Amino acid sequence: MNVVITPAMVGQVVISGILAGALYSLVALGLALIFGVMRVINIAHGPLLMLGAYTTFFLYDLFGLNPYLSIPVTMAALFVVGVVLQRTLVFRVVDAPELSSLLLTFGISIGLVNLAQLAFTSDLRAVEYLTGSFPLGPFAVSKPRLVAFVFAAGVTGLAFLFLQRSRVGKAIRATSQSREVAMVCGIDVGRIHMLTFGLATALAAAGGALIAVIVAIQPEMGQIWTFKSFLVIVLGGAGNYPGALLGGMLLGLIEQMASLFLTTQLSEVVAYVLLVVVLLVRPTGLLGGRQI
Amino acid sequence: MFGTGYGVRAMLQIFMWIALAGSWNLISGLTGYVSFGHVAFFGAGAYTGAILVAKAGWPWLAAALAGGVGACAVALVIGYPCLRLKGPYFAIAMLGLNEVLRALVSYFEGLTGGGSGLSLPTLHATVPIYYAMAATAAGVTLLTYAIITSRFGLRLMTIREDELAAEAMGIDTARHKLYAFLISAVGPGIAGALAARDQGYIEPISVFPLAMTITMIVMVLFGGKGTVWGPVLGAVVLFVAQELVWARFPYVHQLLFGAIIVGVVLLMPRGVLGILQLRYRLPRTI
Repeated sequence: MNVVITPAMVGQVVISGILAGALYSLVALGLALIFGVMRVINIAHGPLLMLGAYTTFFLYDLFGLNPYLSIPVTMAALFVVGVVLQRTLVFRVVDAPELSSLLLTFGISIGLVNLAQLAFTSDLRAVEYLTGSFPLGPFAVSKPRLVAFVFAAGVTGLAFLFLQRSRVGKAIRATSQSREVAMVCGIDVGRIHMLTFGLATALAAAGGALIAVIVAIQPEMGQIWTFKSFLVIVLGGAGNYPGALLGGMLLGLIEQMASLFLTTQLSEVVAYVLLVVVLLVRPTGLLGGRQI
Repeated sequence: MFGTGYGVRAMLQIFMWIALAGSWNLISGLTGYVSFGHVAFFGAGAYTGAILVAKAGWPWLAAALAGGVGACAVALVIGYPCLRLKGPYFAIAMLGLNEVLRALVSYFEGLTGGGSGLSLPTLHATVPIYYAMAATAAGVTLLTYAIITSRFGLRLMTIREDELAAEAMGIDTARHKLYAFLISAVGPGIAGALAARDQGYIEPISVFPLAMTITMIVMVLFGGKGTVWGPVLGAVVLFVAQELVWARFPYVHQLLFGAIIVGVVLLMPRGVLGILQLRYRLPRTI
């Protein structure tokens, strides 16, 4: 392709990248929490996001609830789903080899997708609340994406405040640093695992609620988010929570940049090559170390 | 039942699953490195074979062998860097590989037909292909036996139990892992090329489905990973179960599959043969 790249195009790409990046950070923070605390890669993270999107859709469709106001409701509902999943299934594989947890969460994942197909059908749904874009200088800014950026940044900020300041948040960080020492300090690790899974699921749900306004909702919308979130936590450094923020922004920018030069299909390839290179060159992520 | 069209077709499928599950067992069952995208080699073989048949007019048997070579080449390029990754990172890198191959195949439309797929010239050779698939399944199983009873196999299992200790004992772990990985790609490559020839039409989503990787893993887990006959047992039992039971409930098919995965992981992580080995002191080479 012979495309002339103008500064305006680059600016547009940076804006889109940052707007998308905040959503990536929000969703990936959940995956990073589960991985950091339990060493489990939750393949069902994306499908849980899908459930969040459906919750927002039905609240909007049946009760006319503003999709942005529904975020706390959606988060609370999926928090419960997360706690139940951890309590019934996931806790059994916390100390098992990674194959067990990968397969188990994959099993949960296709179970959730199939249930969604049965319950909601595969029809595309949309929350037509906010559409179009507005001009900002020479750039066009998508309205739902800008609002999603603001809310994603807000929810992520609150989550960080919770992790930094609250007793439970400190206990979660302590558990992810060293489970044994956390136990010695009197932290009920089983309960922390449960809360972490619930919190992580709630973060995915918040992402789902915001995405519901942007793209079509269907049972298989979630899977891609699992892989993207994993990419984000690898970029930022697994178990490094501020790293998830940086990783999300980076992934957003890289994807948009790649789409400028390449087709969308190849931008996936770029993201993959990046994943492998980062894993090989800096397995601890770009921020390095485990600064939790 | 055998000799009829359905019988041959069902047995062809069973042999294919034995070859796939057995190959996954070679890398993941023996070294403990979880290949979470092993179907990538099936797809690579399918496309290599199909392109050679459709564009270069190769005979199907030669194309099938080339499919094995093609898959092996992909394994070399990917395995060299990725086998340095540990634990979940390797699993996810393999998962990504599968997505990337699918994207690449869709992109290079001139060669692969892109998303609209690739049709092969008509050929009525189900029975010869059936024998070739049976030979592939037998080959993978024999190879597994040969490896498990060899020093090479013992070294692979040492890596699985404790890679650091293996290195300390002087095993060139990187090289051993890579060899096991290359060997494990050949079977799926050949099986993919044969399946493509048999079906006469392939498209990216039909030869790179993640569910196929999961199916082979669950077959191995069910039968017993790291054993010779576990993948065979798992492939036969789960395939027959699928034909008999799951096909009758199309709407909850995926849900049942998910439940079986969860059940196998939680209730019998050692598999049937693993449990029998533990209880009755059966030989390691079963």
